[in-house]
Amino acid sequence: MAAISTHDPLADLLPRIASGDRAALQQLYQASSAKLFGVCLRILSNRDESEDVLQEVYLTIWRRADRFDAGRASVMTWMSTIARNRAIDRLRARGPLAYAQPVDEMEIEDTAPRAEALLEAAQDGAALHRCLAELDERTAKVIRIAFFEGVTYEALAQRLDTPLGTVKSWIRRGLLKLKGCLER
Amino acid sequence: MSDIGPELPQDEALAAEHALGVLTAAERAAAELRMARDPAFAAKVEAWRERLASLAEEVEAVQPPAGLWPRIAGGLSVNDNQAVVRRRLRFWRGATVGSLALAAASLAMVAVLATRPPPIIVTPPPGPMMNARLMPTSGGRPMFLAAYDPQRKAVLVASLVPPGSDPTHSHELWLIPADGKPRSLGLVEQGASKSMPISDRMAAMATEGASMAVSVEPMGGSQQDGPSGPVAAIGKLARI
Repeated sequence: MAAISTHDPLADLLPRIASGDRAALQQLYQASSAKLFGVCLRILSNRDESEDVLQEVYLTIWRRADRFDAGRASVMTWMSTIARNRAIDRLRARGPLAYAQPVDEMEIEDTAPRAEALLEAAQDGAALHRCLAELDERTAKVIRIAFFEGVTYEALAQRLDTPLGTVKSWIRRGLLKLKGCLER
Repeated sequence: MSDIGPELPQDEALAAEHALGVLTAAERAAAELRMARDPAFAAKVEAWRERLASLAEEVEAVQPPAGLWPRIAGGLSVNDNQAVVRRRLRFWRGATVGSLALAAASLAMVAVLATRPPPIIVTPPPGPMMNARLMPTSGGRPMFLAAYDPQRKAVLVASLVPPGSDPTHSHELWLIPADGKPRSLGLVEQGASKSMPISDRMAAMATEGASMAVSVEPMGGSQQDGPSGPVAAIGKLARI
């Protein structure tokens, strides 16, 4: 992506990992595991499962390091995408019960950024939060739920008891506004 | 609510939805396949991932337990079958026409498909979708894309080789599971995409980390148990 102009210190580790350098993987683990463990915990709300998933995530990174393309994504984004996908797979494997919880019962505080995390957030992050805040509350909430829970359109529509087309339309319009806002 | 306003163009919407994670498993797989084939679309997805990534940044970092790294380190060698595959490839290459044929074979591909993780805990429901990019053994861009759909027990494969570029050979797709022995999945026409149903026995071998390869064979495919021609491309199955 064009936005990546500064040198990504983690990017040097990937080619070494791809060639089988375990020390490089350990270095990457030390630099990133707390962040990725946080992502797994946020999605799964369960320590044991999050540990299992985190283990899978680093094994995946080990196997797929050759697919990382520094021109397209930052290492952290690439790894968080893997962590999020894995955690969501695990969540989906729990079965339909995972989706049974109606949105109204979800704690809003839970989806809101924590103060200290916000302070740490990079400039990009701050921009995204500003832009999410510009969306109507429900759209922003639905986008967060989708992101952190891997809920499909169908499941979202069921939970919200809203027609599928309407939910799609909310999210698509929300994403379009988000993009417009981020480009300003 | 009735917010009226424009929607994202179709491609852009799909890219955003894929990055956000609202697609079903099958749609996700199709999107991944398209990313591998269509760089402009892939760039859109990556751009959306970057945009949304800062959502993950708002999550508080939590130190994992000290015992986790040793667990990961202990699993590394077990999961890496790269060396086995390379050895096989060297064998194939040596056994066939040699490096000149390989150069000529840059138009042909070998795909190796790996399947889902073997039963570790309880029987997982249908198992994850997986895909593989089959890269030329000499490096460069992918020549074949493959995806394994455990629900349909089928391998989807797309040949990125220009149609008609090697009219005197067939391209044969192989699955190379942990035992290192290639199993034929069938022929792949140049420039074509197809869905290949696979047997239960084969499906059980399609686990994450298994390889897929494409070999260049006489018309109609290899006459022997394994590949008889050079391997044009190889890749590993990984979860989408």
